[in-house]
Amino acid sequence: MEEDLPLPAASLDDPHLRESVRNPEGAERAIAVLLALGVLGVGLFGVAYVQNWKPWTLGLSLGLGLFFLGFGVTAWGKYLMPQGPFSEARHALRSARAEREAISAALVERTGVVVRRRRVLVGLLASGLGIFGIVALFPLLRSLGPLPGLTLTKTNWRRGSLLVDSTGRAIHREAIEPGGIVTVFPAGFEHDDQAAAVDQVVLIRVQLTDLVTEPGRSSWAPEGYVAYSKLCTHAGCPVGLYEKQLRLLVCPCHQSMFNIDDGAVPQFGPAPRPLPQLPLFVDHSGFLRAQSGFDQPVGPGYYERTTS
Amino acid sequence: MISRLRRILSSRFLLPGAVVFGVALGGVLAFGVGGAQGAGQRETTYGHPSTIIYFYPPDSYIPAGQALFGTFCSSCHGPKAEGTSRAPNLVGVGPATVDFWVTTGRMPAENPNAIQAPRKPAKLSDQEALEIAAYVNSLGPARPGIPRVNVKDANVAVGADLFSLNCAACHTITGAGDELAFGTAAPSLRAATPTQVAAAIRTGPGNMPRFTGNLSDAQVADIVAYVTKYVQHPTNPGGFALGGVGPVAEGFVALLFGVGLLALVGYWIGERS
Amino acid sequence: MSSTTDTRTRRQVRAARGRYGRVGQIIDELDDRLGLAKGGRAFLDKIFPDHWSFMLGEIALYSFIVLVATGVFLTLYYVPSQAETIYHGTYAPLRGQRVTAAYASTVDISLDVRAGLLVRQMHHWAADIFLGAIVIHMARIFFTGAFRKPRELNWTIGLTLLVLSLANGFIGYSLPDDLISGTGIRILYSIVLSIPFVGSYLAFWIFGGNFPGNEIIVRLFIVHVLILPVIIGGLIGAHLFLLVRQKHTQFPGKGKAEDNVVGSPMYPTFMAKTTGYLFMITAVITVLGGIAQINPIWQFGQYQAPKISYAVQPDWYMGWLDGALRIMPSWEFTGWGHTIPFVVLLPAVIFPGMIFTLCYAWPAIERRFTGDSDIHHLLDRPRDRPKRTAAGAAMIALMFTLLGASATDVLANFFQISLNEVLWTFRVLVFVVPIVVGLFTWRICIEMQGGGASIGKRKRAVLMTRSASGEYRTVDTEPQPDDEHEELPPIPVPMHIEVGAPIGREDGQQPSGVRTVQR
Repeated sequence: MEEDLPLPAASLDDPHLRESVRNPEGAERAIAVLLALGVLGVGLFGVAYVQNWKPWTLGLSLGLGLFFLGFGVTAWGKYLMPQGPFSEARHALRSARAEREAISAALVERTGVVVRRRRVLVGLLASGLGIFGIVALFPLLRSLGPLPGLTLTKTNWRRGSLLVDSTGRAIHREAIEPGGIVTVFPAGFEHDDQAAAVDQVVLIRVQLTDLVTEPGRSSWAPEGYVAYSKLCTHAGCPVGLYEKQLRLLVCPCHQSMFNIDDGAVPQFGPAPRPLPQLPLFVDHSGFLRAQSGFDQPVGPGYYERTTS
Repeated sequence: MISRLRRILSSRFLLPGAVVFGVALGGVLAFGVGGAQGAGQRETTYGHPSTIIYFYPPDSYIPAGQALFGTFCSSCHGPKAEGTSRAPNLVGVGPATVDFWVTTGRMPAENPNAIQAPRKPAKLSDQEALEIAAYVNSLGPARPGIPRVNVKDANVAVGADLFSLNCAACHTITGAGDELAFGTAAPSLRAATPTQVAAAIRTGPGNMPRFTGNLSDAQVADIVAYVTKYVQHPTNPGGFALGGVGPVAEGFVALLFGVGLLALVGYWIGERS
Repeated sequence: MSSTTDTRTRRQVRAARGRYGRVGQIIDELDDRLGLAKGGRAFLDKIFPDHWSFMLGEIALYSFIVLVATGVFLTLYYVPSQAETIYHGTYAPLRGQRVTAAYASTVDISLDVRAGLLVRQMHHWAADIFLGAIVIHMARIFFTGAFRKPRELNWTIGLTLLVLSLANGFIGYSLPDDLISGTGIRILYSIVLSIPFVGSYLAFWIFGGNFPGNEIIVRLFIVHVLILPVIIGGLIGAHLFLLVRQKHTQFPGKGKAEDNVVGSPMYPTFMAKTTGYLFMITAVITVLGGIAQINPIWQFGQYQAPKISYAVQPDWYMGWLDGALRIMPSWEFTGWGHTIPFVVLLPAVIFPGMIFTLCYAWPAIERRFTGDSDIHHLLDRPRDRPKRTAAGAAMIALMFTLLGASATDVLANFFQISLNEVLWTFRVLVFVVPIVVGLFTWRICIEMQGGGASIGKRKRAVLMTRSASGEYRTVDTEPQPDDEHEELPPIPVPMHIEVGAPIGREDGQQPSGVRTVQR
């Protein structure tokens, strides 16, 4: 029977067929122990699951069970199977020159017949496919969302917007003592997650007297209340980290540091621009309101962002 | 007066130990008898008064506090706590500030020139902290008193919400703390007592901002409850928390114990030559 | 029907089955229809090199299998929606909070679905390990020159798998809609926004409007569970097809040549080893999923735009991008009514684009420089190609320096040093470390060259002795019994490779190690 096979057969004592351990019986026993432990482990997982034990028992029982199973099977392959080495012939992948020329010829010649002589048809088909490709982009892209328009330049802060915290409480002039900070929103938008993403402002009380952060902003921070957009000008993270003594607002994401005394000019880190400042005033009931919206877009830079 | 007493008694706030209870009673009596410090200062509560009691150490502590201050504090803060070039003026900071710095072990400072005093085991006892607070407060009475927080009715969900809005930006969401700008750091919250958490919120120690009118006493109690119940004792059903510092530690484990271990296994499976 | 006909039929059936019984019959039936026998036999004989470094790709492959299996489980419970709901589960600090369905369902998977946390954590660990395995597998391919002709296409496919897996890892990390991952999406929005001309349009289309919008979770979900896995699965199929088609590379050694592959046959040796490896890889992921908590989103809370935690990092494989964002100086171009935020554009768009372009182009670049366009199946030893090895080491050093830069705050906290100083240190290190590592590697490679005689030989212990006068002397040890194991010349895989019981044991005449083979 063997003589008929085209493949070579090993002789009875071919050293290639030796196991790679010298004591196969011992190895078999060890592997049996490993596999038995594996069976135990996966079985234990079943028990742990049915008994609804803690996740770590599930993970350990299944994990150790699988590990022992895998260890055993691998050791079986490594120690109790013929060690070889065996080889396999590698033939060049390239085809014969004639085969290559045949396929090239078929492509070129047939294309010459059906394409080159029918340029008008080819042109029409190509333009059809091209236009389809472009037209298909419209629903694929345009339906996904609106055009930005001026959305990125706008917030909900208006002249007279009342400052409220996340629970909707207005901020009275006496509510916060120097060194205090609160995240505020324009009243009516504090529970709107979409609006809050652009409207969020940090209100810091620096001192008891008016604070002038920059020339031309003399009335913006009455009674030491200064308000900056909470959106980092770097990558848009909320700049929620305030260090009272250093007078720094720090972005928790990439550690840009803004000096709150001089218009939140970045002192350190990647932020390229100061945080926009929200001009405030104290209304006749003593509550803080915005004099106007921001004088520039908030948040990170983008191509259409104007320079002025 | 009577209403305040009743408030305290009805607050269901059982002080842990007769000494502290006596101290509290003493404080109330001192207020009733002496009345040297105006009522406006003592009734400094924000919102529901029963959740936090702002405690002012009694005047009887002042002499002992003066002696302690002379020994441990005056070399930097000046004999009358007026401050020196090395340390700030303490007049008018309120008992909570003094109590916080002393009970967290930050004061007396080991290295007065450090950018920030780290938390360490307290050098002075709680009682001694109260005595120093009494003395410093006698130099310039101020609020807030030492906050004694009743977390029994606190809402940890509100606390968690407020924590992630107001506290996580520095202390991290797991309360592990981290390094901030120019050598300053937000400390870990793992060891803070309820009083210390509330005191830090109300007084803003060091670089921490202070949260006053925008957080009610009930909200502070909610945060305190969340911190002491869940930040300090996090629910970790998933196993070892890996320090609670997130993907940095996780990536380390994945590469070292995951890929590294598996590569070693592969090293065992394969041949080496 | 009588019992005799039954018996006869059974006997006939047995006779018809031939020598190899039922298996032989099934093979016959299949081969009649599909013609599988010849190719199937060749597949069973397919040779896999035994060198351990060829196992690294399998870690990636099997992690992917774990990812798919655990991912399917998770889709049964995860709700891809930003619809607002009130949390009513078991975790008290969230009860009553406004959360999205995505977040609530992920918390439920973690805390309320039985074995849900184990599976979720396995999925996350598997992703971290998957990416790590891809990287070290790729490093092995690079340093040994396995990407050379004819395998440039498989290098390209593998690199594409890396890029897509990075993307899918980041997207999966974002799906729970927790505080930390939401911050990551916010940064992604800003990165898209920074692209000149089209950035704001792309950002609006991807997110369905201004950040955060109501669409992003469901869109990321379908990309994460359908689009990218299908592409990744297809490319893995192509990767493996090319591997089989082109056959494995191998290190030079005894009996190894350009026109053969030496190692273990697919069946049974390699199949046993690789099945065991699959189990062990799954096991390590399962143990990690059970005892090492990863991404405990219930502690983080729902993402809301004004909320932020300090110490936010992406998963490790995105860390290099975050590190690049951190150390970038604050450059921004403004003029003619436009803004180009190079501070984001350069590190997060242009820089990774350049890195990946370099990787894609490397086979062509190297061919250009060496003028070597021959077909190679035998691998280089890294030391023999000092320039390539130095370049690869420098690239890895650059990536890990950037990864370190994404942990500036954690490092500063751990070593109690100023964050600002750490950041400046990294701004310097990111240039210095790759250059130093590259030069150092190059030098070491040069030093190590010349030891080529030992290729393919087992190392023998070297004995170091110290004489009474303090003189040290090294001698090769005497050959030990194990060393006698000679390197056999490789042979084709024989039909029978079942090993019989040793017959030399009973009478003690047969030398140990020689076994008879049953035919």
